[in-house]
Amino acid sequence: MRNYDLITPEGTKDLLFGECIIRRNIENSLMELFKSRGYSEIITPGLEFFDVFNLNSRYFPQVNLYKLTDSKGRLLVMRPDSTMPIARVVATRLREAELPLKFCYDQPVYLTEPALKGRSDEIVQTGIELIGSQQKMADLEVISTAVDSLRSFGMEFSLEIGHIGIFKELVGRLEATPKEKEDIRKLIENKNFPALNDFLDTFGTSSVTNALKKLPALFGGIEVFDKAEELMPDDNIKRLLEELKDIYNDISEICGGEAPITVDLGLVNKTDYYTGLIIKGYLQGHGEEVLSGGRYDKLISEFGYDVPAIGFAVNVNGIEKAIMKNGVFPAEKQIDAIVYAEEGCEVAALKAAQELREQGLVVENALFDDLDSVREYAREKKIARVVVIDSESKEEE
Amino acid sequence: MNKPIRMALTKGRLEKDTVGLLEKLGFDCTAVREKGRKLILPVPDANIEVVLAKANDVITYVEHGVCDMGVVGKDTIMEMRGKFYELVDLGFGRCKFALATKKGYDFYSGYGIKTIATKYPNVARSFFEKKGMDTEIIKIEGSVELAPLLELADGIVDIVETGTTLKENGLEVIEDVAPISARLIANTVSLKMRQAEIERLIELIEENL
Repeated sequence: MRNYDLITPEGTKDLLFGECIIRRNIENSLMELFKSRGYSEIITPGLEFFDVFNLNSRYFPQVNLYKLTDSKGRLLVMRPDSTMPIARVVATRLREAELPLKFCYDQPVYLTEPALKGRSDEIVQTGIELIGSQQKMADLEVISTAVDSLRSFGMEFSLEIGHIGIFKELVGRLEATPKEKEDIRKLIENKNFPALNDFLDTFGTSSVTNALKKLPALFGGIEVFDKAEELMPDDNIKRLLEELKDIYNDISEICGGEAPITVDLGLVNKTDYYTGLIIKGYLQGHGEEVLSGGRYDKLISEFGYDVPAIGFAVNVNGIEKAIMKNGVFPAEKQIDAIVYAEEGCEVAALKAAQELREQGLVVENALFDDLDSVREYAREKKIARVVVIDSESKEEE
Repeated sequence: MNKPIRMALTKGRLEKDTVGLLEKLGFDCTAVREKGRKLILPVPDANIEVVLAKANDVITYVEHGVCDMGVVGKDTIMEMRGKFYELVDLGFGRCKFALATKKGYDFYSGYGIKTIATKYPNVARSFFEKKGMDTEIIKIEGSVELAPLLELADGIVDIVETGTTLKENGLEVIEDVAPISARLIANTVSLKMRQAEIERLIELIEENL
């Protein structure tokens, strides 16, 4: 039998030194940002019952979940997402709580990715959920938090919004089976224009099929709204478009042209429990979205409590990769002093080191047998002070 | 000038056809034509950098965003899948996936589970799944036509261009699975971050197809 005792599982990795600092910096700065806007942290278990993710809508395909059983043989999964567990908590323990509720979280999620594709199965997500408000102000609050988050990484970024409701309304007006609707959704998601055109032609020509054909091409700046307006078949859909345009204008004003805000009416991802507004964030030079979220007004009702919500999550691993690609590696904490104990003076040395730490210095205890090795080590690590504790106690610089 | 747009091309016939297309658009592809052993080549006046790769790798590079765009056959897309935009049917590299058996073999008869040999297990599996048919799929790396001749499989799912190889080996197409042609694909973030440049290029390409 083969042993796997020297490697980590596919899709996971150990982090060391600068990598840890980068990760923690990202997590800490985001959590600080969220807390400064009044979000409270929530921590949910890494293990959940499979049933939490097996609602009617089945947002996560069973094959992509890490599954295990508890001591009673019940099926558990490693948390693939934080929003659904938070929805569960809100629908149970917080049913009587005053709304709105504002949560932030910082925890890994687990999903199996195809092997040998260079993807992680363990992704740290840091994000927010704003529960119990359907106001436009809630949308603006969450989007502007998303913009602040993206800005905090100091890289060129862009934020994109969309509205899944427009697609849902359009496809709802088509006489198509659920399977056919799903095929249309996939073709729009992949911006597969040739196949989308061919497939929609089988439904005849109408303002609805025409709008669906154009949907994946409707992305870019403010000009998209004018193009879309002409295409939308009725006032219901035009109203959704108008709502989105309002938000677009407000967010553009908030950002003041500092970063491009774009819109894509063809954002129609499958695993989304989203019902309205959709938010995506991109960093220049990073091939995948680093921020993803939206409005999910029906999700919590699947847990038996009908309350609207909106949120987003930042993919911390993605940000890490982008930062490392830019080559900015943060330094470890500089050690200010090292304390060496002559034989028999260990207790005195530990006390002396502690005193220095209380003065605010970063102090190491020397772990060498002779003073020359300590000096050598200090030179290499650029430690300015070597403190020697012997029976008379002296100090060197 | 902006960083060039990286375009991964599937080495071989699709590469030649794409270079032909780029030249038709008026771009100077001398460097690509005289590439020697180089794998990354400039098309300077188009601000494009051509990357030559195997078909599967074109998708991998585009998915990760290290190449902004790619030219790859629909066959590879159907087998590999993945997250990218499939923007244009370039029309060249046309052929098809088809189900073939030994001449005169009645594939759909009987209750036994059929065995299919193929280089494209995902394509074969989803084809029979849609029919609600349980099949046993065996992955073959080389000439798939051998499998039914050696009686390892009842049929094959493979790329068919002219059908000559099938004919010479006593096989025949009994059903088309899907048409194939070259596709222009793009990384999902690149299309957004470099929309104007990519859209201009696509417009040019579509005018010249």
